[in-house]
Amino acid sequence: MRFLNWLAAYGPSYGSGLGWTALIALWASVGAIVWGSVLLLIRLSGRRWVNLAVEGYVQLFRNTPVLLSIYLIYFGFPLIGVVWPAVICGGLALVLQNGAYISEILRGGVKAIDLVQFDAAKSLGLSGWGTFRKVVLPQVLVYALPSLGNQVILLVKDTSLLSAISVAELTMNAKLLTEQTGAAYEAFVVVAVLYLLLVVVLELAARSALRAVRWRPRYDAL
Amino acid sequence: MVRRGIARALLLVAVAAFLHLTATAALTQEKSRLDTVLQRGKLIVATFSTAPPFCYTDDKGQLVGFDIDVARLLGKALFKDPNKVEFVVVTAEGRWPAIESGRADMGIATTTIYPDRAVRVAFTRPYVDSGVSVLVKKGSGIKSLADLNQEKYAIANLNNPQQADRSKRFIPRTKTLTFDTPAAQALAVRSGRAQGAQLDTPVADWYAATSKDEFEVIPELMGYSQNNAIFLKHGDFTWWHWLDTAVGEMRSGSYYGDYSEIYQKWFGKNPPPQKFYLR
Repeated sequence: MRFLNWLAAYGPSYGSGLGWTALIALWASVGAIVWGSVLLLIRLSGRRWVNLAVEGYVQLFRNTPVLLSIYLIYFGFPLIGVVWPAVICGGLALVLQNGAYISEILRGGVKAIDLVQFDAAKSLGLSGWGTFRKVVLPQVLVYALPSLGNQVILLVKDTSLLSAISVAELTMNAKLLTEQTGAAYEAFVVVAVLYLLLVVVLELAARSALRAVRWRPRYDAL
Repeated sequence: MVRRGIARALLLVAVAAFLHLTATAALTQEKSRLDTVLQRGKLIVATFSTAPPFCYTDDKGQLVGFDIDVARLLGKALFKDPNKVEFVVVTAEGRWPAIESGRADMGIATTTIYPDRAVRVAFTRPYVDSGVSVLVKKGSGIKSLADLNQEKYAIANLNNPQQADRSKRFIPRTKTLTFDTPAAQALAVRSGRAQGAQLDTPVADWYAATSKDEFEVIPELMGYSQNNAIFLKHGDFTWWHWLDTAVGEMRSGSYYGDYSEIYQKWFGKNPPPQKFYLR
């Protein structure tokens, strides 16, 4: 009963937080997928030093906590005169880290394609771009989509870290409400449920995406 | 079939555990936390580690501050030994579950009394009150609240409702940024994210004193009284009463001497007189 009363009084104030979380998650995951693909294409281009640079970048961002880059961009960049809004700073940090992960996921998808297929493509007279579009991409999508969906879910949950830099998303909402009412359990249970809902929506989207790209040959195990 | 059997057994265990919990909860309500503390022989206190000069970690890694010393004074009152106090370091939103779950006996963490909060947690009478000041960068040209009250400026607030209320009242045009800790607020001013930080006057003074060439405090106050109190779980009259009495004794009774010493040590001035009619 106490919980319901609390929910009735303060529940509606979660609306804007939910909106911000969804918005940040959307732009950051689109950005991360684009950036990850760019990194992959750079890597596939095959120049040795470029390869090394991308490898170094991926290692750097995979092996440091994303909160560090969030702080660095938000509190550090103003020192060199770059004052972007918190939403941009935090989202950028998420894009940079998740882009690194996603490029690796996609690379795994490309690696899973049998080398023979490239020879076959060449013998059919397909150009480099043609090989990528007609042979590589359709297969990579099928191989990589489950892990890609997973990564986006991780990204959605990482948006909670943006509360540390004054972004009014869901977790910040919960923090403000606990500070106001002292009802820590209620505030965070509601947030947990809302994150769960967001992720369930995403999972459903990922599943239907997988169904859309899954064509001949049939992968019954997926 | 076997799986269903296991599931049923698990459900049964869960129900039994729940009943057990509620039963013990009902039993423990009879006993006051005061008895538990006395039997245990030490006091467990939830506090912060990032809010100088109230409760923070010093250069040597020790938890120190005004709140810490007040907790030790309570330890002295209970056990004749200021060291019989154990501190549980919590975050701003972690202090409420820390006392509701019983992890700590009570909390002292620069916590301001607020009506919405009092619905969920009990407060003693305030053990300290202070003004609220604004910390700004030295040489920023901001000398008053009127200077700060402009759309192009931002104020770094703590994520509590009192600060949000005061921002709206005193500097409605200034943009607000919200952080978890005073340390992050100071960082926001240092990095130029915000032009001012709203802090309890002793906290603002502490930052201005420790980083003299970087910060200054504008003389105007954003509030004259900010009552900080010990907080504890509702529903334990004996325990609340003991703590409230102890605070009363600090501010105007037999612990006034010890309290004045602590006050002097951290704020460099005497506390308010024991009685308003005394000098």
